Amino acid sequence: MTGRRLLLVVQRYGAEVVGGSEQHARLVAQRLAQRHTVEIATTTALDYWTWAPYYDPGNDFLDGLLVRRFAVTAGRDPEFKAFEHRVLEEDHHVRDELAWPAHQGPVAPELLEFLHRQGGEYDAILFYTYIYAPTALGLPIVPERAALISTAHDEYPLRLAPYRPLFHLPRAIGYLTPEERAMVHARFHNEQVPDEVLGYALGPPPAADVAAFRAAHGIAGPYVLYLGQVSEGKGCDELLAEWIAHRERGGSPDTTLVLAGTVRMVIPDRPDVRALGRVSEDDKAGALAGAVALVQPSRLESLGIVLFEAWQHGTPVLVHRANLVTSGQTERARAGRSYADGGFGAALEALEAERDTLGGHGRAYVERECSYAAFDERLERLVEATAR
Amino acid sequence: MSDRPSVLVVVQRYGNVSGGAETHARELVAHLRPHADLAVATTTAADYWTWANVYTAGIDEVDGVPVHRFPVEGGRSRDFRLREHRAFAKIHPLAAEDAFVRAQGPVAPDLLEHLRRYGSDYDAVLFFTYIYYPTVYGLPLVPERAVLVPTAHDEPALRLSVYKRLFHAPRAFAYNSVEERRLVHRTFGNERIGGDVVGVGVDVPADRDGARFRARFGLERPYLLYLGRIVESKGCGTLFDHFLRWQSDVSATPVTLVLAGRGDPEMPVPSDPRIRHIGPLSDQQKFDGLAGASALVMPSLLESLSMVTLEAWAAGRPVIVDGRSPVLSSMAARAGAGLAYRSWMEFAEIGELLVAGPDLGDRLGEAGRRFVERTYTWPVVVEKYRDLFAEVAARNS
Repeated sequence: MTGRRLLLVVQRYGAEVVGGSEQHARLVAQRLAQRHTVEIATTTALDYWTWAPYYDPGNDFLDGLLVRRFAVTAGRDPEFKAFEHRVLEEDHHVRDELAWPAHQGPVAPELLEFLHRQGGEYDAILFYTYIYAPTALGLPIVPERAALISTAHDEYPLRLAPYRPLFHLPRAIGYLTPEERAMVHARFHNEQVPDEVLGYALGPPPAADVAAFRAAHGIAGPYVLYLGQVSEGKGCDELLAEWIAHRERGGSPDTTLVLAGTVRMVIPDRPDVRALGRVSEDDKAGALAGAVALVQPSRLESLGIVLFEAWQHGTPVLVHRANLVTSGQTERARAGRSYADGGFGAALEALEAERDTLGGHGRAYVERECSYAAFDERLERLVEATAR
Repeated sequence: MSDRPSVLVVVQRYGNVSGGAETHARELVAHLRPHADLAVATTTAADYWTWANVYTAGIDEVDGVPVHRFPVEGGRSRDFRLREHRAFAKIHPLAAEDAFVRAQGPVAPDLLEHLRRYGSDYDAVLFFTYIYYPTVYGLPLVPERAVLVPTAHDEPALRLSVYKRLFHAPRAFAYNSVEERRLVHRTFGNERIGGDVVGVGVDVPADRDGARFRARFGLERPYLLYLGRIVESKGCGTLFDHFLRWQSDVSATPVTLVLAGRGDPEMPVPSDPRIRHIGPLSDQQKFDGLAGASALVMPSLLESLSMVTLEAWAAGRPVIVDGRSPVLSSMAARAGAGLAYRSWMEFAEIGELLVAGPDLGDRLGEAGRRFVERTYTWPVVVEKYRDLFAEVAARNS
């Protein structure tokens, strides 16, 4: 079969863009480009809060693929928090809900006009992230050739008017995990739309130098690693409380909690807590490989790529049970433990006892489920279900 | 769902209003009432052009069914024709489409709010007519329980991007004809979404007397009957032209063309003794007229379902249709109950055949009667809707 002509629509796209769904989009574009002609339609934004113009509008290239950038004419409503509060918490009219995507942004009318005018030239159009305007307003323009990669979690905006049709319209849906699929089906009863659970793919693990990491940051003895933005939104406050309680009960002696990532909260000044700030890719590999466990306290992860990265290095994970996605993922891989509130310490101790066995399960799981070959097969099924 | 599904019917106007889809909705509600808990959500408008607020907003009751009327905030805008022209241009911006839908009206945002709040209280929400605001913005609020009666025909609006969502989002369709379903599938590629060809039921009185009609209107010659608005857009110009050319031939069998329907003619009717405009008819007169006619003529090109065609067939009479009308010519062929012309000469030929050989007309008419009996009777229609509602409820449970 000759390749198909595919378009990927996503709110932000670029080498400098940080974000889980954008990272997934870029991986998917690169993998699909092995067999198809792939273009990307996106905006000029870099930052997901303001959507302030950063890139130039027009044609750009990344990884050898054409990136069509459309101007953001309005970023996020400066009063968005107030608007959000009214729509989510107060009495309001359907008009307010319908205005949600425009208030949230990024508003890029030329992107929508492009879909209206030239959407028909593509065999399939993959829309990333249900919540933002390019998908919420763009997918309904070309439902007959659309796939939705929703990256949804169970959050209030999912109930708003603009999203009610979004999960019924496309030709096919790509879910990141079985948990996302189950949650969407339960909410929207859209089982009639063909779907594929895409998961993620990783190349071979980068070389890890644990000694170099320890030396660079002066870390001796066992350590538990948190990797990512250090903020309350990611559950780090709860993690710290669990950690301190565990240590004060005498648990995991000589062990350090290492937080690697941009710090956006106050960190208690203790010898057994180390905040490193953002670390290099080399440091990251070493940190993952040497950790007793990677801990992921967030309740709002829709995929948790970092879990796969830990498993690649043979390191098991500790996840919060309230997050059905990461705890489901961990259970499927048999490569870690989940904990409920107050249960962190006990879970960590249980994990310490079989660290290498669980880590080995994780490595095997990633090799099986996250290989390019397995991922490409799943992508191909999504494209076939979508294409005209 | 209990044995009685709860169903909300959404339609742009409701009550004592004329109009194909609106009449269809009200008749269907009357026939579904014994089988479902019904409510109607509509506007305060009575006429489809201005959508002026005539009814009082709030809860009304029609035929014993609660009717929620929502105010029209924007009737048809004064620049509607301009908006339509812009949206229908081959190349047009997306924004022109939204402007067209709003300019067309009836803009009734509180109807949408009602759907947002209470839509999921119903097992199914039945939307009539794809083209107007209440369906365009209302159906996407309840896609999982929406059944759309599109009443679509092949017209420029159907090709606008803004309508695509209506043909990909609902749970099911209730089409008026096999031909409409084919058109929708061809236009949208939405075969995945199920549904059925449902249409409406046709009731005909058993007592039909052609002689009584002839006597009442002083008709002596054989006649062809036209029922409906006398307007260019319904194909009346072509009809007059073809009929008079045929009758001007010296060898033509003398025939009268009888025009009946509500309202004043919206175009000039040729001043010719062979064309008789007899004005509005009672139901009984209509069926007497059909019984006595050599055939019904149905020259319109843009019909998704022609009620008078079904009535003629139900009364056992054949129908002469324009071969350029995809729905009517295909239905006539499928039913084996009509003949299609593509020129005035073919029109004349068909006319001569039916007038000179009444047996042919009776045979075609009988085939039409059987065709209607198979699909377009109320017991069949009600059964199909009950099946659709049960399926919708099952998918949401």
